[in-house]
Parts: sequence; C-alpha cells; structure tokens
Amino acid sequence: MNLLDQFFILIAVALLSITVLRNFRINDKMAPLWYGLMVVMLVRMAAVAYDGATLTSAFNIEILGFNMHWQFNALSWFFAIITVVAALASAIFMSGDWGRQYRELYEGQGGNYGLLQLALILNVASMLLLLASGDLLSLFIGWEFVSWASFLMMVLMPSKTAKKAAVKYVVYAMFGAMALLAALAIIYSNSVSFSGSLEFEQITQVFAGMDKGPQFSLALLFFIAFAIKMGLLPFHLWQAVAYAETPGPGAAFLGAISSRMGLFAMIIVIIQFIGLGHLQGMSIGLPFINMQTLLAWIAALTTIIPTYIALQQHDAKRLLAWHGVGQGGYMLLGLIMFDSIGSAGGLMHVLNHASYQAALFLTVVAVVYRTGTSDLNKLGGLVTQMPLSFLVMLIGIIGLAGLPPMNGFVSKWMVYRSLLLNGEPLLFVAAVLGTLGTILSVYKLIHNTFLGQLRVEHQNIREVPWSMMVPMLGLSAIVFITGFMPGLILPWIASVQETIGLPVIIHHLGGIEYAKGGLDMIWVSGILFYGFGVGALIFYFLGSKAKRVHQYDNYAGGHFLSADVKYHYSNNFYPGLMHLIGDWYRGSFKWMEQVIVSALSFVSKLFENMYRSRQPVMLLVIVVVVALFSIYKNTAGVSS
Amino acid sequence: MKKELLIKEKQAKRTNPLAHVFDDFIDFCQSKSLFMLHYCTGCGAIELPPAMTSRFDMERLGIQPMVTPRQADILLVTGYVSVKTLKRVILTYEQMQAPKYVIGICSCTVNGGMYWQSYATAKKLNDYMPVDVYIAGCMPRPEAVLEGLQRLKENIKNDRKQQKGSAWKEYFANYDTYLGNQQHLFGDDWQTPVDIIAEAKLYGLEGEGTYGKNTEKLAKVQQPLLPQEMKL
Repeated sequence: MNLLDQFFILIAVALLSITVLRNFRINDKMAPLWYGLMVVMLVRMAAVAYDGATLTSAFNIEILGFNMHWQFNALSWFFAIITVVAALASAIFMSGDWGRQYRELYEGQGGNYGLLQLALILNVASMLLLLASGDLLSLFIGWEFVSWASFLMMVLMPSKTAKKAAVKYVVYAMFGAMALLAALAIIYSNSVSFSGSLEFEQITQVFAGMDKGPQFSLALLFFIAFAIKMGLLPFHLWQAVAYAETPGPGAAFLGAISSRMGLFAMIIVIIQFIGLGHLQGMSIGLPFINMQTLLAWIAALTTIIPTYIALQQHDAKRLLAWHGVGQGGYMLLGLIMFDSIGSAGGLMHVLNHASYQAALFLTVVAVVYRTGTSDLNKLGGLVTQMPLSFLVMLIGIIGLAGLPPMNGFVSKWMVYRSLLLNGEPLLFVAAVLGTLGTILSVYKLIHNTFLGQLRVEHQNIREVPWSMMVPMLGLSAIVFITGFMPGLILPWIASVQETIGLPVIIHHLGGIEYAKGGLDMIWVSGILFYGFGVGALIFYFLGSKAKRVHQYDNYAGGHFLSADVKYHYSNNFYPGLMHLIGDWYRGSFKWMEQVIVSALSFVSKLFENMYRSRQPVMLLVIVVVVALFSIYKNTAGVSS
Repeated sequence: MKKELLIKEKQAKRTNPLAHVFDDFIDFCQSKSLFMLHYCTGCGAIELPPAMTSRFDMERLGIQPMVTPRQADILLVTGYVSVKTLKRVILTYEQMQAPKYVIGICSCTVNGGMYWQSYATAKKLNDYMPVDVYIAGCMPRPEAVLEGLQRLKENIKNDRKQQKGSAWKEYFANYDTYLGNQQHLFGDDWQTPVDIIAEAKLYGLEGEGTYGKNTEKLAKVQQPLLPQEMKL
C-alpha cells in the first residue's frame, strides 16, 4: 500500500466521519483536522512534486474491458495541494463563529450547516479523485462527481438567486459532461486507430489517425467540456453569480480552486496529449488563425470581458467572482504559449490566484459577518473597526491586481514576458487591458468597503474573531511569501512542466533565470521596501510626528462634516470611464444565452404539444407513417 | 494693528558653525516648492486660470495647485468672504499644517471692497486669520497675482532674518484675539474640529496671547473630535 492508497483511505475516512457526524458540534473541530491531515499526507508525497515521480494507486476497476486506474504525478499533486489548503482555510473559517451565525440565520430556511460541511468534503474528495485520474474514463467519472458536488454547495443559501444560479450551473455542467462523453465516444468509435483502451495516450493516437474535420470536432468537444467548468468565453455566464451566492467559506473554496479543474483537464488533454503540433496544424478556415491562436484569443478575451463586467458590479462577492472568471484567462494564455516561461506563469497563477482569491473572499465574508451586507454602496470606512481584515484585503488586492511584491505579479509578469517574447504584441495589449480593469475594480472594492466614511450603523462593530482571522492571515502570508520568494514553489512548477512535456523553467529562490532577462523578486521587493524605508527614515528620523485625526476633521471643500452628511463617494463609481466605455456593455452574451434558451423551450413546447395533442390517434398515424417509410426505404435499398 | 510676537523662541546656543547655512538652505527650499489651495470665494478666481496655465505659468515659480489643505502651503482667498464662507475658510486654514501662508486677493479681502455696506460680508480678512500678502485690485491681473506670490517667496526666504514669513505663528501666539473676532461674528458656540491650542503647544508657539477670555468661552462649549481608535 503506497502513499496514494493511504491518502485515498484518509479521504474516505474523512468523508465517512463528516457524513456521520455532520450535525454534531464535534464535527466543527474535527473537519479542519481532516484537511490538516490531508495536507500532511500531501507533504509526505512531496517526492512526486520535486522529483517528478508518479505514484499509482493499487486500486483499480475493470469495466467493460476498460481498466480504470488512479495515479498522482506532479501535475495532480500541484492542484491537490492548492485544493486541500483552500479547503483547510475554509474549514477553519467556518468552524467557529461564522458557523454559529449561519446556523442562527439560515437553519430552517433552506440553509443547512451540516450539509455545507458535507458539501465541502464532497467537493474536496471528488476533486482529488479527478486530479488522480489515470485515464479518460476515470477523468469523466471524476468530472461528473465534481459537477454535482459543486451543485450541492451552491444551493445552500436560502435565496432564489442562489437556486436559480445553481440550476443554471448544473445545466451548463451537464452540457459540458455530455460534450466530454461525446468526445470519448468519438475516440471509442474511431476504429482506425483505437486500440481498445481509454488511456490518455489514446488521444494522441486517435488524433494522429484522423482527418482535419473530425480532429477539429474532437478538439472542440474537449474544449467545450473544460471551458464550461473554467468559465472561458463564451461559457462565462454561469460562474460568477453561482459562486457569489454560495455560503461564505464555500464561495472562497469554489472561487479559489473549483473552476481550475477545467484548467487541469485542459492541461492534460489539450496541452499534454493533443499538443502544440496538432493545435497549430488545425486551421479553422482562415489563413492566419490556427487552433492555438484561437485558444489564445479566447483566453485573452476571457481576461478582458469578465474583468470589465466585474468593474460594474456593486456587490463585493460578485465582483470577486467575476475576477475569478477573468483570471482564468491568464492561466490559459500563459499555457497556450507552450514555452517554459509562459506555461510556468500560467501554472503559477493557479496557485497565486487561489491564495489571494480565497483571502479576498474570506475578507468579504468577514465583512458580511459583521455588517450583514456585501453591497459596496452600503459599506465604507471599516478600516478603523476591522484593521486586520483591511490588511488582508490590501495584500489580496495587490496580488489580484498583479503588483509587486505579491505573488500575482510574478505569474502575470511571466505571462506578459512570454507573450512579448513570442511576438504576440496584440495579446500582450489584451492582457494588460485586463490588468487595467482589475486594478480599477479592486480599488473600488477596497475603497468602498474599508476606506471613506464609516456609517453610523457600523460604528460599534469589531474585528472578526480569531477562528476567522487566522485563515485569512495565513492565506495573505502565502500571498506575500510566495511573491517574495517564488522559488519556494517554482520547483513544483518545473516538475509539472517536465511531466506534461513542456520546456522546463530554470529557477532559483528569488525567481527565474532566463536568457532574455530573468526575474528576481527578492531584488524587486527589496527595492520597493527600500523606497518606503527611505521615506520612513526621512520622516521619523528628522523628528516628524504623524497626527491622527477623526474622519470628520477632513477637507470637503471647507464643509463641516458630521455623521448625517454622506460624503463617501461609492455609488456610480468611475462615471468618467463609464461615460467612455459604458455603451460597450451590451450584454450580447446574455442575449445569446436567452436566444438559445428560448429556442430550446420553443422546441420542447412543440414536442410537448404534439405529444399531448387532442387526437392521440395522430401520434399512432405518425409513428406508422415513419415506420412504413423507413421499412420502404431500407427494403428499397436492399432490393436495388 | 501690528502686534508684538510673544513667542518663546528657543534661544539655544547654536554651536554648529554651519547652522545658518542649513537654515538658509531650508528657507530657500521652502520658498521654491509651494503648494497652493485656492479657495475661490469671489470673482478674483477668474484671474487664476491664466496665472496657472501656459500664458503666465505659475509652475515655473515652483507654485502649483493642491487639492487638500493637509498638503498645501498657501491658502489663496480670492474675493469677498461672506460670513458663511468665512467659517469654511477658517476651517480650511486651521486644517493646514504649519508653515502655512495666506494670500488675500482683490480689494474685498482688504477692506470689503464693493461689499463694504453689505451686512453679510467680513470686511478685513486679517481680523480672522493672519494674512501674509494682500494683492489689491478689482480684480488684480495675473501679473499682479504673480508679483504677490513672488513677494511671498521672498518673505519665506528671508524669514529668519527679517521675521517676515512668520505670520502663521501669530495665529498661535495671538489665538485669543483671532478667536474673539471669530466669536463676535459667528456667536459664542463657534468651534472647528481642530484643536489650535494643542497645536500651539506642539509647535512650541503658545504665548500669553494664546489664552484669554475667548479661549475660556471656547473651552466651555467645545466638543472635541478625537481620532478614531484602531480596534482589534
């Protein structure tokens, strides 16, 4: 029994324990322990991440002549550690006072705290199962588990929007799963090169033996399946609302890692097994665009459009959830470049995004815990009441905006660098445009929540308890440390690159070495802090003293400020920018979605009406006519 | 109404032979980098855009606009100050950090100008806050505005030698008088969130004129606005 088997047994025991004990208080204390143990197990498996070894589980199933097996390689380990740490943070967060409040507010109205715990462990277990999949069949089964587990988590908020978003998600997810199944069917039915197993290598083989047309449809089916989970354009509509309406820590977990399962599958199928050669060989009818360019542009538009939708949101959770969609674009954009630096940036962004997204979501949930709202127009000035949460959010938004010294900078820098070195200036501009939108909207987030005028009704609130503060601080520490010393995680990235057959990055503690200019974050952050340090030295050593004033002792054109004067400018943020770009928000994708929905419902109504027609005899007549026609046609074919 | 400055100057023996060089250097630097908050109360404001923009280009003198009093050095009051406006001007002035300078533009700030007979207009700005430079005229042309600003710069540069650029110290040293004039106009419950006496102590500028019957009146009605605590 190797480490992977032990890991699966641990997951099974944890799942069983939480299922049985979920409605008892003891589970609150035990659930974080299970995730902690999983982290320990993953650390024990670290050889996978550093040496690029593969652990194969002894457990396998034989179905219809196909062998389903599970294995862990560097790629699986990389995604697994992110998943488990995100789950650990969420579990600690919800184990204390947050869980108590959730029980008080929502139990009996559709919310169920025990079910939330169960949903979390189900998500973790199914995601780990997916990550460990060793062939296409186990990938498909893991995929289905992940879809339904996410659905379970999304319906735990007693609001109509949550239910609606969850149902929308599950419709999308089923469409994706069907696309995946269809892709499997194409591989299975490809009699020329199909060798009787559904190992991943089959994809490469089948591709090699296919014409361009079927190749394209197979790649498209895989892409649809994974893009839906990832929220790539044009399948981005389901994700943000569904994640934002999930109960607090659940939203943090889903936003951090859940949709990256799509990226994981995409890395295996499209990057590892279809590969650059096939992608470039597949033309889509236009002379200068091949499949690689197309995917790159889909990724680039995914960074831009959802990010600018985020800019318009006035609900903190939705704003963050839309960024979750947008940042996925950077990951694919880096990976699709197929070089060492870009793919390292794309992979690293998975971890970086998970860390700051979870931290930011938890901060917003902490604010909701104290104030009861995440509406950005109803908050403000909380920095004096919740200074540590402010710090966490500050670190998080610096990471999300991709500014040094946080980790988001490192991965985004690598992606930019790769785009420039590969001669893709337009994609580079697109990526920078996405970052611009990110910076604008995260400023809106922190300004409307923590800065500005403190509302009268919030004057007595306090910082959140430590059970919530500890995971937030821990995550922000990860954001900073992996930004300051990216070399801590770059070995994992290098093993992943080796595993999936991409050029491997040369790294050191501070960053990367690259012939055309590397990056050393220790220097970058050092110089940044040096700048602040010089300022601080001048200020404090020349005898200056900071003076703290009340927020009403403030300049508002000479106005005497008081609690009844609202001077916090939060509604209709960026009116100048919106004046310029506001007309471009036309909701075309929403319109497209509605068109498809109404077309489908029209067709279904048509069939329903036919089935329920007044004269059931008509159905019989139709069936008989069709049957006669087909008999006639077939016999005609035989006789002639 | 020239008052003697009652300032406890720290007359410590300066042993450093280069002390006055440093002092001159600091004065020089201060005079070359001035941020200006223009509180546009009246028609004189119309002369500022040409003074600031390319034709007369105030920035070549090292003077440029600033949006908040906290970072501003100069308060420019351009035109008549009605009683209602004066409250705001005083609040803005008190929110500025020392050293701070006031320039009154237009005749209205000097003596009320054409609003001399108005019941609602404060006639002399320097009854309510110490004014460094007046630029008379109705309205003064941009050249005159620049001339006044140049004069202010000279004063700042020669501050230590001639005690010319220190009008702001007077506000702390003779706070009682200024407060009395303000109370006369606005009533006895007049106050701003800024604690001037504490600031006078901070700058070491409190003198006999800082306290008096007016500050006692203020102490009775004052509702201090304490800074918000960071709570964990």
